[in-house]
Amino acid sequence: MDLKEGLRAETWAKSSLAENEMSKRISSNNPCFTDFNSQQYQQKWEDPSILDYDIRINPAFQEFNQPPQNQSSLPCDPTNQIKNPFQMNENLQTNKMQDWDPKAMLNNLSFLEQKIHELQDLVHLIVGRRSQILGRPDELVAQQQQLITADLTSIIVQLISTAGSLLPSMKHTLSAATPSMGQLGQFGGVPFPPGAGLSDSIQVQNSCAKKVSNQSNPIDLVGNSGTQQNHAVEEHDLKDEDDADDGEQLPPGSYEILQLEKEEILAPHTHFCTICGKGFKRDANLRMHMRGHGDEYKTPAALAKPHKESSSEPMLIKRYSCPYAGCKRNKDHKKFQPLKTILCVKNHYKRTHCDKSYVCSRCNTKKFSVIADLKTHEKHCGKDKWLCSCGTTFSRKDKLFGHIALFQGHTPAIPLDETIKGLAGPSDRREGNEATSKIGSTNFNFGSSVPNGTGVSDMDAKGES
Amino acid sequence: MKKQRCSEKINLFDLLSEEIVFIILDCLNTNPFDKKSFSLVCKSFYITESKHRKKLKPLRQEHLPAVLIRYSNTTHLDLSLCPRINDHSLFAISKITSFTLQSIDLSRSWGFSSSGLLSLTLSCKNLKEIDISNAVSLKDAGAAALAEAKNLEKLWMGRCKMVTDMGVGCIAVGCKNLKLISLKWCLGVGDLGVGLIAVKCKEIRSLDLSYLPITNKCLPSILKLQHLEDLILEGCFGIDDCSLAALKHRCKSLKVLDMSSCQNISHLGLSSLTSSIGGLQQLTLAHGSPVTLSIANGLKKLSMLQSIKLDGSVVTRAGLKAIGDWCVSLKELSLSKCDGVTDEGLSYVATKHRDLRKLDITCCRKISDVSITHVTSSCTGLTSLRMESCTLVPREAFVLIGQRCRFLEELDLTDNEIDDEGLKSISRCSKLSVLKLGICLNITDGGLAHVGMCCSKLKELDLYRCVGIMDSGILTIACGCPDLEMINIAYLKDITDSSLLSLSKCSRLNTFESRGCPLITSLGLAAIAVGCKQLIKLDIKWCHNINDVGMLPLAHFSQNLRQINLSYTSVTDVGLLSLASISCLQNMTILHVKGLSPNGLAAALLACGGITKVKLQAAFKQLLPQPLIDHLQARGCVFQWRNKAELDPKSWKLLLEDTVP
Repeated sequence: MDLKEGLRAETWAKSSLAENEMSKRISSNNPCFTDFNSQQYQQKWEDPSILDYDIRINPAFQEFNQPPQNQSSLPCDPTNQIKNPFQMNENLQTNKMQDWDPKAMLNNLSFLEQKIHELQDLVHLIVGRRSQILGRPDELVAQQQQLITADLTSIIVQLISTAGSLLPSMKHTLSAATPSMGQLGQFGGVPFPPGAGLSDSIQVQNSCAKKVSNQSNPIDLVGNSGTQQNHAVEEHDLKDEDDADDGEQLPPGSYEILQLEKEEILAPHTHFCTICGKGFKRDANLRMHMRGHGDEYKTPAALAKPHKESSSEPMLIKRYSCPYAGCKRNKDHKKFQPLKTILCVKNHYKRTHCDKSYVCSRCNTKKFSVIADLKTHEKHCGKDKWLCSCGTTFSRKDKLFGHIALFQGHTPAIPLDETIKGLAGPSDRREGNEATSKIGSTNFNFGSSVPNGTGVSDMDAKGES
Repeated sequence: MKKQRCSEKINLFDLLSEEIVFIILDCLNTNPFDKKSFSLVCKSFYITESKHRKKLKPLRQEHLPAVLIRYSNTTHLDLSLCPRINDHSLFAISKITSFTLQSIDLSRSWGFSSSGLLSLTLSCKNLKEIDISNAVSLKDAGAAALAEAKNLEKLWMGRCKMVTDMGVGCIAVGCKNLKLISLKWCLGVGDLGVGLIAVKCKEIRSLDLSYLPITNKCLPSILKLQHLEDLILEGCFGIDDCSLAALKHRCKSLKVLDMSSCQNISHLGLSSLTSSIGGLQQLTLAHGSPVTLSIANGLKKLSMLQSIKLDGSVVTRAGLKAIGDWCVSLKELSLSKCDGVTDEGLSYVATKHRDLRKLDITCCRKISDVSITHVTSSCTGLTSLRMESCTLVPREAFVLIGQRCRFLEELDLTDNEIDDEGLKSISRCSKLSVLKLGICLNITDGGLAHVGMCCSKLKELDLYRCVGIMDSGILTIACGCPDLEMINIAYLKDITDSSLLSLSKCSRLNTFESRGCPLITSLGLAAIAVGCKQLIKLDIKWCHNINDVGMLPLAHFSQNLRQINLSYTSVTDVGLLSLASISCLQNMTILHVKGLSPNGLAAALLACGGITKVKLQAAFKQLLPQPLIDHLQARGCVFQWRNKAELDPKSWKLLLEDTVP
């Protein structure tokens, strides 16, 4: 358990491409379970802990593969090295450590990849055999499962032994996250050590997992994956900021514009069967479903998650258009700015063109149309103590001051409590009256958006000032 | 009224035009009581004087409304003598002077709140200057109230420690025309607040950010200010070399920069800073990093530099030489308490900067007559020379000062070897107005007589512990220096009442210290009281012969007295109670006064309406009723309880004689 904890923590400290890579690989590994008892399979996929567990391994490995002394002990495969340039770049970007040796990292990554490929081959083998011995007793199933588990364990052990020496240096990254146990429920049966810095990273982890599966839909539809994957990573880094202009200026025509319909966007499922129209939350589930439509969907190739290495045909960059006419994100708009991913489309559409149906249960004021936004807000709700005269609240003082510096006439609003208490002496019987008259005269806008209740709680939070 | 009408006499004074009376009033500035007397001459004078007065410095808040109604043209209101100003007073001020008031000083007052301030700023639309320094309990709400003074140009708010970025942010947004703001010791204000000031108040000329927890982040926006001339960054520990190196903006307008006690700035930061502020005229780097060759070279780019102050820093020989090699010609150089100032370095600097007007080499203990020779021979235009405690300088060197530096106006020779010959020579400096000779043990009446005869413009004379001085020396000073405003004859044990009688001719005397002069009696003090009506500060500690007889004339004549030290005198309840009638008395030190009873003290304190600070023996704390103490404190009086044993005034001298051979 200790080892697992360590790994998990490392992974959460960073969200990188590797997670996506890994999850893809997992879905490509997926078909090996095809012939298992289908219920069991379903369970596996529905249980996020398994997915997360696997995802966790890879980035952790990336980070731990640092000490140069490991270099000699690890087999170096030049072809594997070349195979993974993107992963390499990502590592360069994300790793903050100064004594980081990219070559050693590359070697280690290659080694890991090799191992995983071996395992993948093994699984393929099992799958191949499975089609013949369908419906066999459970012992065989268990046996094969054991085999795979053993291999996986060996990879993990390898990983940990490499990482062991680096553990102390990772503590800094660990402490960056703050705990919020509300998130933990999502992880089902996986026990979590209390007090460890988890929350933010967990959320990232989680949303990442979801996003990856979401994004695999367009990949399936168009049969390409490479660049799409890259952009998925970018999106992942940006998190919810689909509206943010990241300065990407693709010349018109250099990308293909897709426009989903409103119903499609708002549907809870994002993966739709092209034959019967049934929707799924996960692409992997859709692929499972497709088996029922004919044998051609049962081949390992059809069931495997499309991978960038497997796609040889030249592909066009995909961009998305909002179906809402007149929207800047709509392809007919003069200054059309395309959306990068399906998730962007969904979030954009909900935020911009839908009712804000999620109300914060704490302040009962803020409304959101994307549930993730509500959750983000709830984390900070009540902590927004920096108030502008225009009624806008900020969770950070520098943001407030940036806002004030930008707009004419806006001024920092001193919370009500302080206006009453802010006396320069013990005298003053008239303080109450004066305080209220002051508010009237200074035109501070304590509008409906900022009820007094919040103001008071702001002050409580402020305390020291 | 009836009488007047019946007499049908025409008052000649009524015929004088207002303009003429105004001109007369303009000349009555020396004694604040002159104008009062003038206004009592006749009704027309009374009315004219009321119209004439623009500046008010009231003593009590109680009479404020009446006073303000009488002086309806008041533009400047200085409340620094009112220890307590509550919101009612501020409401009254804002109501009565709403159109005229331009400046208000609340730096010494307390008891008001943000609401009082708000009424002031909302109704006095012409308010241009507010001094709210020392309002330690003022919070952001108060700062927000200040922000309503839309035409504010100058704002002093030093030591407003509770004000945060939010409050300063309000001021930055509200007071767009700010030209000066002092945020010294506003510990709650950081980068964000200061940065917003720099962004919103484009007219800023003077910015005092001393001891603020600011870092590099706000500096770029500050240096972008187009009109910034004075920038004080004393004790800003958060500013370091890295930030200064990154500065790219050139601040052409900056003339005065103070970066004293900025410990994290070395020559690297300075040289990058100086390259961006080429027009600097005055630079203060006191208590900073050692002044080495690299620092001095970094400052070479400042082609307009006129004044540099390096007080308290370590100065290397090479650094001093490099300063000498600058192409600019310095007017002012301060090396006070600089370690490492040697004859060689100082001589070199002096020969290179011949236009030097002010030189401060206080406590440069390594320099000798070599330095003085060079300084006096090349810097003949010196107006100020401060060289306290330059112990290696021999008595002969002081003759050179008098011979060569004829334009000296200020000379500090405290704790030096100067003798009568030196004094004789120095007396040639006919413009001398400040002369400090404290602890100069070699001078006698003979030398001082020369000063008295020749330096008629002397205003300030310090003879602290000049044990060789007696009555005749003081007599020549009193006769020859009619403009004398301040004299210190502390611990001159041979001084008698005759000195005081002669000094009583100096009608402008405002500070008189005769501590530890055992021969002085009440008679002498009475003469001073009668003659020196502008007396503000009086120290008669250890004058055992002064008793109530001296206090009575003091109470009667010295109506300007603000500060008095009565420790170890023979004053009793009666004397103290009579002193209480001095309306502007603020500060009293009453330790070891044997004739004082708790009741007498209580009565005197109660009667002293304007008292702000009393130093008393701790024993009185129990003897005075607590409600009385509470009441006085509520009135704005601060008690300082001392528990010192009785001392012999000679003990210090004995110590001195032991250490100085």
